[in-house]
Amino acid sequence: MRSQFWGLYARELLRTFRNPFVLLITVVQPFMWLAFFGSGFAKYAADLAPYYGTSNYIEFLLPGVLSTSMLTVGMFGSMSTIQDKRFGFMKRILITPTSKGVVFLAKALGSASRGLIQIPVMVAAATVFGVRFGLSPLDWCVWVLGLLFVAIGFCSMFLAITASSTDWQTPGVVSNFITMPLMFSSAALYPSAGFPDWMKAISEVNPISYSASLGRHLLLTGAVEWVAFGYLALFAAVMGTIGYFVSSRWLKVD
Amino acid sequence: MSVSGPSAPPAAGAIEVRELSKRYGSVGRGVLALDRVTLRIPRGTVFGLLGPNGAGKTTLIKVLTGISDITSGTASVAGFDVQRESLRVRARIGWVAAEVILDDDFSAWENLWLQAKLQGLRDWQERALELLRYFSLADRKDDKVGQYSTGMRKKLEIALALLHQPTVIFMDEPTIGLDVPTRRMLWEIVTGVHREFGVTVLLTTHYIEEADALCERIGIIDQGRIIAEGTPDELKARVKADLIVLETRDGLDVPRLSALPGVQEVRAQGNEWTIRAGSAEAVLPNLLHAVPPEQIRRISVEKPSLETVFLDLTGRRIGGDEPMRDVRRFYMQMRRARG
Repeated sequence: MRSQFWGLYARELLRTFRNPFVLLITVVQPFMWLAFFGSGFAKYAADLAPYYGTSNYIEFLLPGVLSTSMLTVGMFGSMSTIQDKRFGFMKRILITPTSKGVVFLAKALGSASRGLIQIPVMVAAATVFGVRFGLSPLDWCVWVLGLLFVAIGFCSMFLAITASSTDWQTPGVVSNFITMPLMFSSAALYPSAGFPDWMKAISEVNPISYSASLGRHLLLTGAVEWVAFGYLALFAAVMGTIGYFVSSRWLKVD
Repeated sequence: MSVSGPSAPPAAGAIEVRELSKRYGSVGRGVLALDRVTLRIPRGTVFGLLGPNGAGKTTLIKVLTGISDITSGTASVAGFDVQRESLRVRARIGWVAAEVILDDDFSAWENLWLQAKLQGLRDWQERALELLRYFSLADRKDDKVGQYSTGMRKKLEIALALLHQPTVIFMDEPTIGLDVPTRRMLWEIVTGVHREFGVTVLLTTHYIEEADALCERIGIIDQGRIIAEGTPDELKARVKADLIVLETRDGLDVPRLSALPGVQEVRAQGNEWTIRAGSAEAVLPNLLHAVPPEQIRRISVEKPSLETVFLDLTGRRIGGDEPMRDVRRFYMQMRRARG
C-alpha cells in the first residue's frame, strides 16, 4: 500500500512540475486577488485600520486569499481524477494491486501539496506590497500546516462529491456551488463582525474563516490560535475519512 | 529470459469462468452484457475472444480484471477468485488496452518506475532494462513517451504489462485503429511474448484474421454468450460446408432451393439467403438456373473460415453488414417512392 501511495503521490507532483500551464494557473489566480482586489481596497482599508486590525489591507487579505485558493486546489484535484478516468489511466492503476482508497489518498494529498506551491509565491508578492513577516519557524510551520489541512479537507470534499462522475464539467459546477458561498461567508476578504446573523452562523463553522483567522493572528499579533488550528485538523480528518470511504465504495473507473 | 509467475494451484486453469452473468442496470430494464458464460483457459495458451462490437468481450475482461462486479456465477484468474481475492488476482495479471494509456509527460523509464510502484516491486530495474532491450526501446528509455511512435508506445505498454511477471495478460482489442504494418508488428510481438515469457494471453478482437493468426484456441462470443469454442481448425471443421450468400430483390422458393442437389440448408434473413452446400462449385450451376438472374442483387461464396463459423452460428457477420443493408434498404425505398 505504501509503495502504491508514494508512486501515485509522486506522479501528482511530477505532473504538476512538468506542466507549466497548471503551475501558472495555480499561482496566478490568488496573485490576481492580492494584486487587483487588494490594491483596489487598500486605500479605504487604511481609513478602517481599527476594523481590519492593520492599515495595510494586503496584510489582512493574504491569509484569506491563501485560504480560499485551497478551495480551487480541490477543484483541480477533482479535474485531474476525471482526466485519469476519461483517458483510461484509472483503469491502468486499478488493474494493479492498488485499492481505490489509496488512489484517493494520493490524489487528495498530491493536490493539497500542489496547493502549497502558492504560499512562497504569495508571500513574496505580499512583501512587494509592503507586508513584513516577523514570524518564527514554528509560526510558519503552524500556518503552512493549517493551510495544508484546509487543502486536504477541500480536496477530499471535492473528490468525494465527484467520485462517481466522469464528466469534465462536474468539478466546475461543484466548484461554483461550493466556492462562492464558502468564500463570501467567511472572514477571508473582510472581518465577520459586521455580518448579519445568518452569515455569521455560516462563518462560524466555515473552515475558510478559521484558516484566515489563524494566518491573520500570526501576522498581526504573532499569536497562534490553537483552537482554529485544531478545528482545521479536525476538518481535514473528517473530510479525509469521508472521502476515503466514499471513494473506496463509489470511485468510478471509466 | 525465463520467467515463472507467482505460484497458484497447479491443477487450476489460468482462467476459469462458470455460469458468469453480468447485468448493467436493473433486472428488466438493464442490459445483460454477459449471459451464463462458462470458459476454461489452460495455462500458457493464447486464447482469442472473437465477436462483434458489443458482444461482451470488454465486459468479460473488466470482470476478470476486477474492474467490474459479477452479477452471478464465479470466475477465477491464476487460481484466485476475482471477487473475493481481487488484489491477489491483480498482482498476477497484466493489461494491454485498446487505446494506448501511458503518462505522456513521463519517460519510458518513469512509466516503468510508476508501474513497479503500483505493483509493489522492489528490484525491478534489471527486469525493466531487459524488457526495454527486448522491445528495442532501451536507447530511448529517457525520452518522454509523448515523442514515441504508436508502435513504440504499444511496445512500452506491453513491457509495462510484463514487468511484474504476470501469469495472465489481457489484451483488449490491442490492434484496433492501427495501420496494417503496425498491426503485423504487434502480432509478431504477441507471438514472441507468449513464446519467450510463457504467459497465458487472453486477447479480444473482432478481426477474424487476427484471431486465426494468433490464437491457439478461440471462443466466439455473441450477445453475451460464448456460442462456440475450440482451436481455429476445430471451429472451421464445424461448418463442413461452403456458404453461398445470395441477396435477392424478392422472396425465393425455399423448398425448391432446398431440394437442389448438394444443398444442405437454406436460411433467410430478409432478402438475404444463406445456403449451406457441401461444395459451392457443384451447387452454383443449378442454383443460378433456379433463381432468375434479374432477381439476384449480389452473390458470394464463403469457404470455411472463422467468418463462416460466425455466419453459420448467428446468421450475421462479425464485421457487421447491417449499416450497408440499411443503406441499400433506404435507396430501394427511395426508388419505390419515386415509382
